[in-house]
Amino acid sequence: MFHIRMSDRGEVLLSGRFDAAQVENAKAVFDKLVTTTAVDFKDLNYISSAGLGVLMATQKRLKDSGHELKLRNVSGHIRDVFTIARFDLIFDIK
Amino acid sequence: MGKTFKRDIRSLEKVFGFIDEFAARENIGDSVRRSLYLAVDELFTNMIKYHPANANDITIVLERVADEMTVKLVDRDVEPFDIMEAKDPNLLASLDERKPGGLGIYLTKNVVDNIKYEYRDRTSIITLTKRLRRNDVSHPHE
Repeated sequence: MFHIRMSDRGEVLLSGRFDAAQVENAKAVFDKLVTTTAVDFKDLNYISSAGLGVLMATQKRLKDSGHELKLRNVSGHIRDVFTIARFDLIFDIK
Repeated sequence: MGKTFKRDIRSLEKVFGFIDEFAARENIGDSVRRSLYLAVDELFTNMIKYHPANANDITIVLERVADEMTVKLVDRDVEPFDIMEAKDPNLLASLDERKPGGLGIYLTKNVVDNIKYEYRDRTSIITLTKRLRRNDVSHPHE
């Protein structure tokens, strides 16, 4: 099961499994972002290339207007996937 | 153990459930289970993407013999698509130049030890193998 929502502090909160079946749900939130935004991965336990694609497309769009996504609370499997995909070169990850 | 899944992205939830069942039966730990999720998810999703109109279901077979695990995905009545010929993405490119395409196969290559592609009788068979280290498996009776 995958959930995505905005916190009261304007962060994107992700939980569950972010796979190809969840792209439209995720895009509905990410496509509305217009400023620098933190994405909290604390409760996300899986991500595939489909999820990476949504993050990358959003980062490209935001960077065009001088903003960015900041990826936060990244650990375990998610960090491994980000490392393989070299997301450290295109995102601020903590 | 083998199972057949409807060619639909919404089947992924059942595919993950199948992997969970296998991992529990074989006492396989979380780290390998997530590698299995990733490899199977990426290849299954690719099979749907490249042959969306095909009416055939996709078969997944998971096996473990000693310290080696084998995953087989079988896609019938399709054109050949050898994933080993797919070009690796340029991960050192700038954000502007980076493209999301090609990441799935690249991730798969990175989480398994070997990938074999066979094509016969209009059927694609992708076989992945992954060696299990001692820490990848729990030993409840030790």
